Order: sequence, then structure tokens, then C-alpha cells
Amino acid sequence: MKLNPHITQGSNTVQLLMLDVLIALLPVLFVAWLAYGQLAIVIFAVASATAILTELLFSGFILHRWRSIFDGSALVTALLLSCTLSPLTPWYVVAFGAFSAIVFGKIVWGGLGKNRFNPALVGREFMSVFFSSIMLSPHIWTTGGLVHTSTDVLFPQAAERFSESYMQGLVYKTTGALGEYSLLILWLGGLYLLLRKRISWHIPLALLTVFIGLFWLVPDGDDLSFSMGGLLLGTLFMATDMPSSPTNAQGKLYYGAMIGLLAFIFILGNIRFEYMSYSILLLNGFSDRISATFRPRVWGHTIDWKQQVESIVMLTLSILAVGLAILSLYYYQLTDYLVYLFILYIIFKFNFSFHKKVNNPV
Amino acid sequence: MLLIPSLKKKTKHQDILSLPDPPLFYLPLGSYAGDMQVQVAEGQQVQMYQQLAASTGPMSAKVHAPVSGTIVGITEISGDRFLTLKNDFRYTAQQLSPPDVDGMGSAEFLAILAEAAVEGSGGARFPTHLKYNIAPGTLDTLIVNGAECEPYLSADYLLMKTACDNLMRVLQLVQRVLASRKIVFAIERQHRELEKLLLQAAKAFSLTVSVTLLPNAYPQGGELQVIKSVTGLEIAKGTIPAKHGLLVSNVGTLWAMHDAFFDGKPYTERIVTLSGNRSKTLGNYLVKIGTPVGHLLVETGNAWDSDRHSVIIGGPMMGRAAQSPLTPIHKGVGGVLLLEHTNPKAMNCIACGYCVDVCPQRLMPLEFVRHNQEGDLAQLKSYHLDDCIACGACAYACPSDVPLMYHIQSGKAKLQQERRNGQS
Ligand code: SF4
Ligand code: SF4
Repeated sequence: MKLNPHITQGSNTVQLLMLDVLIALLPVLFVAWLAYGQLAIVIFAVASATAILTELLFSGFILHRWRSIFDGSALVTALLLSCTLSPLTPWYVVAFGAFSAIVFGKIVWGGLGKNRFNPALVGREFMSVFFSSIMLSPHIWTTGGLVHTSTDVLFPQAAERFSESYMQGLVYKTTGALGEYSLLILWLGGLYLLLRKRISWHIPLALLTVFIGLFWLVPDGDDLSFSMGGLLLGTLFMATDMPSSPTNAQGKLYYGAMIGLLAFIFILGNIRFEYMSYSILLLNGFSDRISATFRPRVWGHTIDWKQQVESIVMLTLSILAVGLAILSLYYYQLTDYLVYLFILYIIFKFNFSFHKKVNNPV
Repeated sequence: MLLIPSLKKKTKHQDILSLPDPPLFYLPLGSYAGDMQVQVAEGQQVQMYQQLAASTGPMSAKVHAPVSGTIVGITEISGDRFLTLKNDFRYTAQQLSPPDVDGMGSAEFLAILAEAAVEGSGGARFPTHLKYNIAPGTLDTLIVNGAECEPYLSADYLLMKTACDNLMRVLQLVQRVLASRKIVFAIERQHRELEKLLLQAAKAFSLTVSVTLLPNAYPQGGELQVIKSVTGLEIAKGTIPAKHGLLVSNVGTLWAMHDAFFDGKPYTERIVTLSGNRSKTLGNYLVKIGTPVGHLLVETGNAWDSDRHSVIIGGPMMGRAAQSPLTPIHKGVGGVLLLEHTNPKAMNCIACGYCVDVCPQRLMPLEFVRHNQEGDLAQLKSYHLDDCIACGACAYACPSDVPLMYHIQSGKAKLQQERRNGQS
């Protein structure tokens, strides 16, 4: 028996959703190509090829989920991952990262949508742990000499009139990871996703408000260093990732605000590169609980405010506790063990429950 | 807010046409609640408007003959029972005796509604005499629901456009019997042109009515949603609007009421929109209750062809797919749609939250799937599955085609079963 509704929204499929993310990302990739030319292209290509092959191998041959292979999510994951990398990352490390992102970020959970953590960031953490000497060496982050198209070429007048100017930094400035060179392009990508309703404004607004607000409030905030490009890339493209973020509007506001708060705490705690990854991944772990806590008030019902406030306080305390735990682990250089633990957990869980549910839609 | 592209514009400017009647009528023997007793024998000759069946009990409903002819018997179509009437095309009718509406009291008012078997024409088919059974003077606002939020349908629009005076005449009577303080028409913004028409007609009947324009979104026409838009009051599902001094009545129902009060005619015909992306003709038709949908299709140049299209009785969002060409039009059907088959293959839920965004009841539909799969009734309750109005908006919005409606229905059935077990 066919159930209602009897019409579908043809313009809204997972494939089209992924296509929109790709469209928003393309200009970001283009800027990376402008900056480092072939170096950037090799990274994108290696990551994409590895991700797609891995998806084909595991989703297809091992899990027999052929239909999900071409949803485009592998490509999106690979490109997002590449955006967080230095143009000098060796190709085999990139391949390893893309492989881990797909396998440990997605497939062992049961495929796209069931993953509780952002696959691109999972891939990145795997790279940092297993290739820590490469990923954390200052060497791969000094790329000045390799710039393919320098700012002077792109903006001759700008360079003359206000060198190192504010405007210039906004449009094109080659520092940091591949996805961070143009704040303007990142904004445009975010705006596109917003207009296409692929992200909602709640997470970015709450995140940026809290983060920037804290910088204003804290004395000497100006001295703290962080990359605005990294912040935007994380905010617009990673924190808003659908499967790993809450599903309701109020939950999204809270989630964004907490990422902003933790990122700030991590920066204060001297976590240099990974503050965004850590705070997003941490909140990913809580997003189910956040969705449940912030479930919307049902039509015509009332909310028990006392109970609601109580559960929000408890939730916040647990998040802060985990945040501080991560900070201490980082201080004693033990964060790698989190990733090992994660692997153990996921293998255990896969054996006992996930593989039975692989073909269930939720 | 869910905006659904629709073909409404193609049918709303067409006149109401009549169709030749079918040789056989299938009169529904199911009602809102309770079963019906047939009061005629096989082979018996009956007259048009004659009462053929009635149900006992408070939720009483009646069946009247839409034409004259012979009773053939009872036919089962996809699990439901229908009284079959063979049309003799003579239209020998019972003498109709319009009641004396002047000085009519509330008891008589309700009796006539019950006698004419008027039911809610918006879909749920709740007996109208039960709905209007409220003490005179306690009604604050009578809301006339003209928000036909289902895409494709235009039957109610046409009633408001062409039968304006009839609506006002019956409203005048309701006003006198129930002494409601206010009468408000709720219509969709896309039908804004009706506003002037309605206000003018009201003036001619010296009625004070106002018009509230609702957004063109789906689902605006649900009773709870209409009440909110008109009065700002948000009442929970299951609460009786009359307790808040409110009454919501569909324009189609008022039209049927008009015929009952001013012509003495039982509810035997209604306006149906024929539409859909696979329909060769689009239009609005005056159709007798009990007309098989297959007949309607043939007379309009279409065919029953389940390979090529689905035939939906009702709107595309909440209607039901007909299993047989014999399935008849009942009192709550505003449309017949020929739609191309949709063949969604479920993918994983990607937790996008679109279903949460569009749910008019502010539920979290994705959680129903999760917890129904696990048979976790406590969670289904804590996410308020019982407040779901089955509008289908969540399923429409889902990019992964997760079988939301299946799990909602199956979850509701489980909750009901549990309640029944608890009672026994
Ligand atoms: S069918 Fe139920 S859960 Fe889905 S949108 Fe409508 S009311 Fe909400
Ligand atoms: S709309 Fe579909 S995919 Fe999105 S959260 Fe709801 S059930 Fe999941």
C-alpha cells in the first residue's frame, strides 16, 4: 500500500545536496590553485581518488551498499579534508588521511548520515596522530617561497596602495591551510549554502558571536593568535555538517555557541593548530544529546522550564568537563590516545551492533 | 514553512462542470466511527434522496440515494463495504421539504444536519451535527476554513467564488442560531481576490465577517493551524476548539449545510477537482457521492492505468492511493489526482533536520523512525508521536526518502495497541 504524500520534492536529494556543497567549495579550491598551482591540485586529486576508491571498495564490495557510493559524499569529504592541509603535505599522508576519513569517519558507522563525527576532521586527526612528525613540523607550514601567484600579481594596485592591507587579507592571502586563503570566497560559499538551505544560520551565527565576543571581553584578546580563515572554514563547512550536528534550531544555536566557547578556551590553553578540530569533534560527540535536550516545544504544549534549565546546565557542565580533560591531555601530549581509543570503540561497536543495522535508514 | 509547487492555477479559473452519472454507485458504508445498518433490501426500487442506511449511536451517519434506481447489494472494494445502487437514469426523486428556517431553534438545527447527513468535507468526515452541538452564546469566533492548503485542489476556492451567496445565507442562519460573536474567513494569500467578493456578499446579507489571509505554505488548512493564524491561540491536538469558544468549518461543509437548510436536500453531491501531472484534463466537477473514480476518469478522457500513473483520492499530501477503479468519491474528497509514480528508495537519514523544520506540530519526525525501529514506545511518547497530524510534510521534505510516514503510522498503531492492552 502506497502511503502519503504522493508527490516528491524532486529538487531535494542527497546527491543535489552534495552537489551544492561542491559548488560552494569550488571557488575555494580555485583560490588554492591560484596560490600553489599544481601542488594544490595534486593534493585534491590524491584525496579525491583515494576517497572514492575506498568508498567503492568498502561500501560496495564489503557492505554491498552500491547505491550509496555515488551520493557524492566521498568527494565532499576528500575536498574538505584537503582544505585543512598544507600544500606541502606528502601525497601518501594525504591518501592515508582520505582513507581514514572514509573508513573511520563514515563506513564503520554504517555509511553517510550515521556517522556521529565529521569525517573530514576524523581523517585529519588520524593524520596528525599517525604522521605527527610530518603534520606538526613547522617545515610543511612554511610555504612562502612556493607561491605560484602572489598577491602582487593579483592586485598590483592594492599592493602599491596599501601593502599588507586589510582589504587584501580579506580577498587573498596565502597563509595556512589550502582552504583558508580567501575569507571573501569562504563567505560567498557559506552564503550560497545558506541561500540553498544546505546550512542554517544558527550554527555560524552563534559560533562567531560567542567566539568574537569572547575576544572582545578578554583583556589582551588581541594578542591571541588564530587564523580567521581556519575559523571560517571550520564554521561554515565543518561545524554545519548535517549528520554530526543537531537537528533542531535551538539545538543548533547552543551547539554553535559551545563550539565557539571551546575553541576560545582551547586557544587560551595554547592549542595551536587543532583548536577548531577539537572543539567541533567534541561537540559532535554531544550533538545527539543536544538535539534531545533542545527538542522544540510541541504545538500547544508547555515546557517545564525548571527541568529544562536543569538539563541544559548538566549538559553544559559535561561538555566543559570533557573540554578540560582534552586540554589536560594535550598539555601532557596524550591526545593521541584519544584516537586509539576511538578506533577500539568503533571496532567494538561495529562488530556488535553496526553491521547488523547497515541497511536500516536511520 | 513548506512551499510546494502546484497546479492550482490551472484549475482555479475553470468553471464547475457536470459529468454524466455512472450506471452504478458505490455508497460508503463506513463512517467516522461505527458501522452502518442498511435499511433497504436487495432488488428494492429506491428514489433519489431516499435514506438507505443509518448508523446507530452518537456518531450517527446516514446514507442517501444520489439517484433513483435498484439496490444491487453490498460490494467489497479494497476491504471496505459499499452499498451498490444501479442507476435507472429516471431521477424520480422524493419530495424535498425545506425546513422552516425562520425562528429555528438549536435542537431543530442539529436535527436537520443529522437528517441530511452532513459531514466535514475537509477530509476527516466528522459528523457536522456533533460539531455544531454547542450552547448558543458560547461561541466567540466561527472560522470558515477556506484554506485548501493541499496543492492541486481548487474545489473550495470555486465554492467561495461561485456560491458566495449560499455561504452567506447559511452563515446568517448559523449566526442566528449560535449567536457567534465573530465570523472569520481564512483563505490563502494566493486567493486574495476573494476577499472583496466575500466582504461584498456578506454586506448584502448584513453579516459582519472578516477575512484573514494565510501564507501559501503547507499545511495551513489544518484546524489547529487555522485557529492559530486567525486567533493567535495555539491549542494542542486533541483539545476541542469549542472549549475555547471556537468552531472551524470547511466551506464545503457550509455548502452542504446550505442545501440541507434551504432545499431540504441531503448531502449527495460535492465539488471535486480533477488534476495532477498525468491528467489529460484539469478541472472541477460536480460529482455525486458514490461515483466510482474509474467512471470519473473515463468521462474526462483519462483511463485507469496503474502502470502509467497513481490515482489519488484526496490531495497529493494526505490523500489515499485508490486500489481499484471502483473506489468511490465520498463526502470528504476534494480531489482526484493522476500523478506519476514516485518510487523513492530510502537512503540513510542524514540528520539534516529538514523534517523538523517543516513539521507544523513542531515534532522531530526522524526520531519516530529511530524509536519505532527499536520498538521503544516510551521514546515515541516522549517525542509526542500522538501529536502528529499525519500531514506528510516531513516525508515530502526528506532528501533521503526515509520512510517517515510508514514509521509514523506503525508507531501510532503500536501506541494504540498498548493503550488497548492497558485498558483490558
Ligand atoms: S506527518 Fe506528523 S511528523 Fe510529519 S510533518 Fe506532519 S505532523 Fe509533523
Ligand atoms: S529530513 Fe530525512 S534525512 Fe533529514 S533528518 Fe529528517 S528523516 Fe533524516
